[in-house]
Amino acid sequence: MNITAQDEIAEYVAAVREALAGLPGATRDELLEDLPEHLAEVRAEGGGSLIDRLGPPESYAAELRATAGFVGGFPDPPRGKWVTPAEVRATLMPFVTKADIKIGPLIGYGKASDFLVLLRPAWWVLRGYLVAMALAMMLDNSTGNPGLLPRVGGSDIIALILLAGCIAGSILLGKRGLRLSMWPRYALYSATTVLVIFGLAGFTTADTTVRDPGYNGVSYDTNPYGNIQDLFVYDQQGRLVENARIFDQDGEPLQIGSDFCTDDSTGETWHTRNMGYPYCPQDAPFGPSPSPSAAAPSAAAPSSSAVTPAPTSTTGR
Amino acid sequence: MQRVDTTQLLKGVLDLAVLAALRDEDGYGYDILRRLRSAGLDEVGDASVYGTLRRLFAAGFLTSYVVPSDEGPHRKYYGLNAAGRAELERSAKTWNGFASTMDDLLRERGTA
Repeated sequence: MNITAQDEIAEYVAAVREALAGLPGATRDELLEDLPEHLAEVRAEGGGSLIDRLGPPESYAAELRATAGFVGGFPDPPRGKWVTPAEVRATLMPFVTKADIKIGPLIGYGKASDFLVLLRPAWWVLRGYLVAMALAMMLDNSTGNPGLLPRVGGSDIIALILLAGCIAGSILLGKRGLRLSMWPRYALYSATTVLVIFGLAGFTTADTTVRDPGYNGVSYDTNPYGNIQDLFVYDQQGRLVENARIFDQDGEPLQIGSDFCTDDSTGETWHTRNMGYPYCPQDAPFGPSPSPSAAAPSAAAPSSSAVTPAPTSTTGR
Repeated sequence: MQRVDTTQLLKGVLDLAVLAALRDEDGYGYDILRRLRSAGLDEVGDASVYGTLRRLFAAGFLTSYVVPSDEGPHRKYYGLNAAGRAELERSAKTWNGFASTMDDLLRERGTA
């Protein structure tokens, strides 16, 4: 069979299909399912064009329809496994229409949809912003918090250009009101849904960050005294002051560090017997705890000439 | 009153005619049309045979298989299955009953 025969068959089938437009889609599809193959058989028998052999497609369609139309016709096609969007729409639309008319007057419009139509440009702007944010998230591979502008590589300029471009594009798209066939339209709807979910997720993240900045891991360690375990106070002569009491400006004693000591060599842990700082004098960073003999002026002399460390705190072990 | 012509009558018995044409031998669409025409049913159209085959197949009376062909297109053959044979038998009985009733009726009135 050559190309012209194929074309002739396709043309004939298309004309028959058109003539059967009144039939339910499923019935028509079922009727026409094998027609191209059948017409190829007919044509292979020889003897002129299909129209010569079978008459015009319209009368062929009429005969086909008459055949399908009696003795019960075709059995009902099996119900699809999936509910089609059209079915969902048909079920929901009456409720939506009713709600539309009921809610409208409450907000001062004939129908709620009249008001929503006015909001469309706002949606276009928001959509442009969300697209820009999504693009920035995809293009930007830095791990930091993206913030509220579509920054790529932390650049504000790029953010503004991207934002302007996406919003302008979105407005154009909305304004022109594209007429799309079925699948591109579904693709657009799906993308919009993803965008809205993305937007909600971004909003939630931003909201959480604003409400509870401390939650953000990085700022967890902002207290520089968080890991202090003990305090060692040295006097002007560099002698460790034992049982020092430390107070703040309100006279409140500072409660800092841990009043348990550990012997590094044995791993033994005990509760301190000291009433003030240091809890664990044996851990003093600038020399051992002064013994009665070490308290003698001669013993203290070597360190007194050195720069005396100011009263200081030290991080623990 | 609707005038009786073969096309009208054929509508009611097309299923039976196609089942009968397949009784002894499987066939493809155009083949079956040829059998019906050579049996004397000149008014049968291709679309009627094609549509009837589709419908009988959908109703579960026929098997179908494709036979490749070297010179022409592949051909879709139809044949009777058990349900088709039972349907043929049942419809044939109905037809025979109806036909003899009509014969008797016409004979009594002296028109035949």
